[in-house]
Amino acid sequence: MNLFSDIVVRSPWLYRINAGSCNGCDVELATTACIPRYDVERLGCRYCGSPRHADIVLITGPLTLRVRDKVLRVWQEIPEPKVTVAVGICPISGGVFRGGHSIEGPIDRYIPVDVNVPGCPPRPQSIMEGVLLAKKIWLDRLNGIAPGHKEERHVSLP
Amino acid sequence: MFRFLKLLGKNLAQGPSTDPFPAKEAHTPERFRGRVVVNPEQCVGCRICHHMCAGGAIRIEDNEEKTGYNFTVWHNTCALCGMCRHYCPTKAITLSTDWHNAHTQEDKYDWAAHYSIPYLACAGCGAHIRMLPPQLAARLYAHSPVDMTDLLKLCPSCRQLAAARREEISNDTHEQE
Ligand code: SF4
Ligand code: SF4
Ligand code: SF4
Repeated sequence: MNLFSDIVVRSPWLYRINAGSCNGCDVELATTACIPRYDVERLGCRYCGSPRHADIVLITGPLTLRVRDKVLRVWQEIPEPKVTVAVGICPISGGVFRGGHSIEGPIDRYIPVDVNVPGCPPRPQSIMEGVLLAKKIWLDRLNGIAPGHKEERHVSLP
Repeated sequence: MFRFLKLLGKNLAQGPSTDPFPAKEAHTPERFRGRVVVNPEQCVGCRICHHMCAGGAIRIEDNEEKTGYNFTVWHNTCALCGMCRHYCPTKAITLSTDWHNAHTQEDKYDWAAHYSIPYLACAGCGAHIRMLPPQLAARLYAHSPVDMTDLLKLCPSCRQLAAARREEISNDTHEQE
């Protein structure tokens, strides 16, 4: 059993949260999954429909006031050790929406982000690079190499 | 029902449609809008790019000694729209085809390009100026008989003075004739 789990690399499941995105980044995320040309499943990842099954969470959008609490609640439902990837400039810095009256982001004000993939939107290959980076961090956390900083990851719901 | 046979045949003949990336470098179109790069030689510090920037990614500030300015592009808020390139009068700022942008959170605020661009002193009064890049100057002075090499080393006010003096001299010669 040990030998088996040593040989087999575990596969992370991806989960998408739209935190008020314009849909551009979401389309690119769907592209990585649905178009054979990119096919993120080659990397051993697949999208899942429930946050409780997820390992890597991809967040798009600048975190609007309206979705903030829902995003935080869904994010908390994802079991540790999770890896958070900010896809697009919106969640990273607010992007073109920065300073808007309804923008609560950037997302790292509320959620500890691990990987950033800037672009508006980033091209699918760039997202795949981000997923690979996130997978590496996730495997390191599983193996106890990288700190999971579970305690620091306390998110207080408003 | 036998459609899959057709597909199988097609795949065998044409190879898979999946892009081999990340095993191989992905194809990038020539006109792909990737990370912004600046050519400090060409930049005249007009700040049009800063004014146009959709994402507020560009910051241009005088340095502490006021001997030049610091030009920063933060890629993490750049929308890759290309407006800066479109409006830059000297074509100093442009978008490369580099899209390898994924980075860890530690690098978030370092994911930027910094340029430090010095001012030159005006040959007339010593004021801080940026010289027009030769290509642009050549276009501006294309139909003018004036020798531009010395003019380019002057600030706008000194250039005005120089133009006035030129006028004066040419008027004098006209009168003499
Ligand atoms: S980064 Fe750009 S494409 Fe992505 S959600 Fe924001 S505005 Fe839309
Ligand atoms: S490409 Fe657009 S967002 Fe990026 S620096 Fe230029 S003007 Fe700003
Ligand atoms: S990069 Fe171009 S537009 Fe921006 S300050 Fe320099 S010359 Fe002006």
